[in-house]
Amino acid sequence: MSLKNRWQEFKVGLTPRIKEWRFMLKRMRGSSLAMAGLIIILGYVAMAILAPVIAPPQSSDPFAIPLDKEIRVLQNEQPTPPTFRHIFGTTQYQFDLFYGCIWGSITAFRIGVFVVAISLLVGLLVGTASAYYGGILDETLMRFTDIIIAFPGLILAMALVLAWQQPTLEISISLSLVMISVMVSFVLIFVHPDRRLLAMNQLVLLLGLASSFFFPISISIPLNNLDKVLVAITIVGWPGYARVIRGEVLRIKNEDYVEASRASGSSDIRTIMHHILPNSIYPLLIVATLDIGSIVLSAAALSFIGIGAPEYYADWGQLISRSRFLISDPTLMVRNIHTFLIPGLFISTFVVGWNLLGDALRDVLDPMLRRR
Amino acid sequence: MANLAAYIIRRLVLLVFVVLGVTALIFAVTMMFDPQVRAYLYVRNIQRMDEEGIEGVVMKYGLRDPFYMQYGRWLGEVLQGNLGWSQSTSMPVADAIRTKWPYTFQIVLFAAPIIIFVGIFLGVQSAIHRNDPIDHASRVLSIIGWSLPSFWVGMLLLTVFYNVLNWFPPGPLSRDMFVAVSSPNFMRYTHVDIFDGLLNLRPDVTIDAIRHLILPVVTIVTIDVALLIRVMRSSMLETLNKPYITTAKAKGLSKKVVIYKHARRNALIPVATLSGMLVAGLLGGLMITETVFGYPGLGSWAASAAIGLDMPAVLGYAVLSALVFVVANLIVDILYAYIDPRIRLE
Repeated sequence: MSLKNRWQEFKVGLTPRIKEWRFMLKRMRGSSLAMAGLIIILGYVAMAILAPVIAPPQSSDPFAIPLDKEIRVLQNEQPTPPTFRHIFGTTQYQFDLFYGCIWGSITAFRIGVFVVAISLLVGLLVGTASAYYGGILDETLMRFTDIIIAFPGLILAMALVLAWQQPTLEISISLSLVMISVMVSFVLIFVHPDRRLLAMNQLVLLLGLASSFFFPISISIPLNNLDKVLVAITIVGWPGYARVIRGEVLRIKNEDYVEASRASGSSDIRTIMHHILPNSIYPLLIVATLDIGSIVLSAAALSFIGIGAPEYYADWGQLISRSRFLISDPTLMVRNIHTFLIPGLFISTFVVGWNLLGDALRDVLDPMLRRR
Repeated sequence: MANLAAYIIRRLVLLVFVVLGVTALIFAVTMMFDPQVRAYLYVRNIQRMDEEGIEGVVMKYGLRDPFYMQYGRWLGEVLQGNLGWSQSTSMPVADAIRTKWPYTFQIVLFAAPIIIFVGIFLGVQSAIHRNDPIDHASRVLSIIGWSLPSFWVGMLLLTVFYNVLNWFPPGPLSRDMFVAVSSPNFMRYTHVDIFDGLLNLRPDVTIDAIRHLILPVVTIVTIDVALLIRVMRSSMLETLNKPYITTAKAKGLSKKVVIYKHARRNALIPVATLSGMLVAGLLGGLMITETVFGYPGLGSWAASAAIGLDMPAVLGYAVLSALVFVVANLIVDILYAYIDPRIRLE
């Protein structure tokens, strides 16, 4: 088949999808709540991108909140209310709130997107495999997810962070090279059998194997507590996705078009990638959008208790936990209200934005609800 | 009924496996600690530990053995009621749980019914008046409620209702009431303040305890009712579109009968599942709320234990909340099978 023919085929295949996207966009624009959510999220994206301009970093680590040493000498612990010098005021120990709130948006996106992306991937793999192949694989995987789900996530995450004392994560590059090339060769064999790519991949595999035996290379990534929290929430979070996608795949697996694809000789991977996933992934996307908000909330809750982000770090939950001293003496709360009111507003609007968007996506994407 | 019995037995067998799995998972997490730290998991009495020395405990319980042997031994200890020694409260974990649970129980006692009834009510109203102002208001409220950090809500409530208005103070009891409760004349029948106050004919203690409960309960309800409203609304909408509702309407039944007798009952089924999970999940959420209000329940105990690196306490709390979660789900599932015969016949 010539390239031009392929392009033609691709364009024809794309037409219904574009039509579908247009329809979704139209529905989205019709709902004011959805637009509000979108605007909030875009606002935060802009804030995150412009952070170096709005609040220029003052040290080599941009996530370290600058602290005002002059005020600290005068009144050590007491927070100061908003002034021209510090638009949002300062927290306990004179950390600048404005800087923390602005750079906190990057942290929030990092938390939400990292956790959701990884849990989505793992959940997708486990859920699809378990539903598509069924049998003993399904039974084992699902009992395992049952165990993790039968558990208040916040507590398991807390226990994990506590137990994980090592300050660094050791990753062996040689071994990961081997694993990646094994996975790539599986994909190549099933989806796109190309001899040249395959040969290249085999070479990488050989190199990886050789290096892991003769001169193993490994890097160690320094981890602060926030990174551990992220990993912990991911470990707790993926089974939810696995369940959702499993249900969807089970529903679709026996449809005639899947049967037709298999009968015409497609491989399992091709059937899954081209026929099952495009028809079952939407509910997962809705769950993912709604999850970003609640993940940011969980991370903030752990930071508030005092086992998340370190105390200088630009993270909204950590900023609020700076005002935990008010809990032991609530009579000071009105005077220091800015220390938790402002970062709390940042968290809440961020999460409201994602939830509005997710709620609207549900109306737009859910085939059961949409064309009414 | 034979079906139901078989279903319950099947679920109980499954429960054993889930409990084993959950405890193994938690225990596996603790295996990341050094044996010297894990020794506290087995100690009932700190004096004995001082006599034997940490290394003695490590040797006695074989804390360098393979995982499955240690897990079996630990499970044996847990079954005998020994959850280890909590360094942050300097008492055995089991005793700490015994002294802390009444406070957490009080909060759940008030919060859970309010969440369930308010959630069902608003969800049904929202579904009946679809796309009316009522619906929009309750949807926006539920989205906002679901998006607020509980510690932030708690601190704002404390600012307004304690610092400004001085209506609802933090903590479990006022000082004079605390003195009254600790006096030898005051019999501790249940260790739950609101009940003991009534049983000792001291209604003022009960009223004071309730006054201290209002803010934590309001915080939890604001956050958790949102999810219930959402699920109830969509379940109700789905039910209202079913053919049998049309039939009921066509028969000429009044709107009230159709909605409350025919639709709401069937729409309640998914909400029942969620309520079970919600009550169990309260334990996790209470960690934050109790900390904010200085309420000495299980949650704030676990949170402070976490900061103090008191591993046995965190482990005990994790095991406890996992058990509550599993048992609550079991009860809900059995109720569910009782209500809906389709489930037990599967």
